[in-house]
Amino acid sequence: MSQAFTKSMARNIFFGGTTFFFLLLVALTFDTMQVLPKRDHRENITPQVASGKHIWEKNDCIGCHTLLGEGAYFAPELGNVYTRRGPEFIKAWIAAQPTKSPGRRQMPQFNLTDQELDDMVAFLKWTSEINTSKWPPNIEG
Amino acid sequence: MQTDQATLAADGTRHSGNYPPGDLAIWLFIFAELLAFGVFFLSYAFARANNVELFNQSQLHLNRESGAINALVLITSSYFVVRAVAAIKEGHERLCANWLGVAIALGFVFIVIKVFEFHAKFSAGISLSTNTFYMFYLSLTLFHFMHVILGMIILAAVMIKARSGGYSPENHTGVETGASYWHMVDLVWIILFPLVYVIR
Amino acid sequence: MQFQSQKVAMPYFIAAIGLFVGQILFGLIMGLQYVIGDFLFPAIPFNVARMVHTNLLIVWLLFGFMGAAYYMIPEETETELFSPKLAWLMFWVFLVAGALTILGYLLVPYASLASMTFNDAWPTMGREFLEQPLPTKLGIVVVALVFLFNISMTVLKGRKTSISLVLLMGLWGLAIFFLFSFYNPSNLVLDKYFWWWTVHLWVEGVWELILGSLLAFVLIKVTGVDREIIEKWLYMIIAMTLITGIVGMGHHYFWIGTPEYWQWFGSVFSALEPIPFFMMTIFAFNMVNRRRREHPNKAATLWALGTGTMAFLGAGVWGFLHTLAPVNFYTHGTQITAAHGHMAFYGAYVMVVLTMISYAMPMMRGRVANSGKSQIMEMWAFWLMTVSIVFITLFLTAAGILQVWLQRVSTTPLGFMAAQDQAMLFYWLREITGVVFLIGLVVYILSFFVGGETKESAAQ
Repeated sequence: MSQAFTKSMARNIFFGGTTFFFLLLVALTFDTMQVLPKRDHRENITPQVASGKHIWEKNDCIGCHTLLGEGAYFAPELGNVYTRRGPEFIKAWIAAQPTKSPGRRQMPQFNLTDQELDDMVAFLKWTSEINTSKWPPNIEG
Repeated sequence: MQTDQATLAADGTRHSGNYPPGDLAIWLFIFAELLAFGVFFLSYAFARANNVELFNQSQLHLNRESGAINALVLITSSYFVVRAVAAIKEGHERLCANWLGVAIALGFVFIVIKVFEFHAKFSAGISLSTNTFYMFYLSLTLFHFMHVILGMIILAAVMIKARSGGYSPENHTGVETGASYWHMVDLVWIILFPLVYVIR
Repeated sequence: MQFQSQKVAMPYFIAAIGLFVGQILFGLIMGLQYVIGDFLFPAIPFNVARMVHTNLLIVWLLFGFMGAAYYMIPEETETELFSPKLAWLMFWVFLVAGALTILGYLLVPYASLASMTFNDAWPTMGREFLEQPLPTKLGIVVVALVFLFNISMTVLKGRKTSISLVLLMGLWGLAIFFLFSFYNPSNLVLDKYFWWWTVHLWVEGVWELILGSLLAFVLIKVTGVDREIIEKWLYMIIAMTLITGIVGMGHHYFWIGTPEYWQWFGSVFSALEPIPFFMMTIFAFNMVNRRRREHPNKAATLWALGTGTMAFLGAGVWGFLHTLAPVNFYTHGTQITAAHGHMAFYGAYVMVVLTMISYAMPMMRGRVANSGKSQIMEMWAFWLMTVSIVFITLFLTAAGILQVWLQRVSTTPLGFMAAQDQAMLFYWLREITGVVFLIGLVVYILSFFVGGETKESAAQ
């Protein structure tokens, strides 16, 4: 029975299979990199959009919100918040935090300048224009 | 089970006593591979049912001749792999290695034909993102293409070992293991070709 | 314990358990914030608590992995560790760096922490699970490299077994794929694409090699089954893991701007991802059934069987539930994901580290197994924690289904917060279950301090 299933064969399958599928991943990644410019509209990533992403990261927004469905599930999806709420609402909302209504989830005050608020909005606008294969299912995110 | 426990079956043919042939580990691998292809085929059927028009339309642009020739090439190479297994059971190491060499050469023919086919498609600007049909066509054929290459590498390793006298009539599990894998690669094409190229 | 240098694993395990407690406490804070939104606000906002919760998890699992490696490798290679001093040094470096990072999260606003740690020059922070400041990230790399050097040198001078080889590959992979965390382009889609090369290729790739190796080691020890048999199982399991898991990464590329063919590749391959986990379950039970000795450490055997079962349930079944693109379209980024994450991490990684600790700690304390009384307590802890995580998962799944239904499927969809309000009952139940989990953890820690008659380990 020991001949029926050898360790060296199992090992070869591990190394062969892993190499094989890693190569497949690399090939698909290569193709993805060719296609992405058409879907992410990178020509629209202005310095302002880049700065907005930086502000997004510096304040750990992903610690409560999702962005394209990834992040924490404590607060609303923001990938499409630009289309859901519009630029003025977003700025006013961030500036007005926290709401301090008792017992409700609270968003901290991040003390963003007007410039930073505009950058953030630019970033969220660009994000809302990424081709996400029609996700989320509806405007509520 | 040991090989000296070989039994004579009712029809008088000699079974080497280990079934399935080759190393059991390769069969687990083959099972997983067939599962992956199987789920892909099911997905194809599912996607096609939602968009018959597009699939039929796009299918017309495939090169059926090259697909059919490739099917013949792979079946023929499988035949030579069978000869190789038979040869080693009789103790003909060199013959076994030579038959494997022919099988590998046919694998190479498959690759060349396929490369021409891919080249034609890519030059026509077709990619994974062209439409759902081409996504499946390219994914399935490229995925299978990589399997042919892997199968050739496995057969080559077996051939080198056979040539250096690494197998014998008593111990040829390695040859059967490689043969089993190659038959799987062949089998997948036999399903893939009609499914993607022909059936409408 | 056969080699003196194995003992360096002890501080690693103790630190791991200590940080585990911290992780659970912050989990409870977050759970309470789900129902009482302004709890501890503004002292500890939710995002800070979450950072602490997830980072502590990662750090304590890394402590656990390193401790496990330091314990296993001398025994597998049949030689003393290359340098126990280096292991001690790295222990303190990692612990201090980890503690400073957590304190940084808690005491300084995140934006200031980012500015203080050169994030403006080289932005890497503020991405889920990779929130660590740049110096911490570099520290992790240094600690990992020194650790790998120590372990690799030990393997090179000793016996080379498949188990140690697999462990080594897993640990090297861990270090290599962490390097993607330093790549953070302005293009969010690219950022996300390669962010997964750290996160997915860790938890559904190289970490599973570590998991398999640890489990195989403990199973050899407690069952006495032939190494040859265990090692070939190990190879087949990790082969299936990577065959399905590498391209299975596609299940993260459905809705982040990546091409649509990923929906097919991701669905097909990740649908097969439960297979290796199922094999692991079969493996664990099979080996225990075929055992050739009755090891007195029953608790370790229970943890090993638990790992096989819960990893399959959490990673395999709960992963499969929402991995197909048409399902994931509705469940992506909801409490369903949270449910899966909790059971998968507990079932696979938490449990395997606890398995290792359960087997190795008594050995390092000079006995083959703890006293019966202590083991019974440990088993109580096992059941309290495991049943709690099952219920946490069920409640989060219920909350998730409700959320999906109200917010995404309904023809008159509710807004995010309105849907959350409807799920409050489940969040309360989850929090209560979380308290039971904490009780389980306390019982677990107490079990280390229960005396009673024990067998001295044979001096070797």
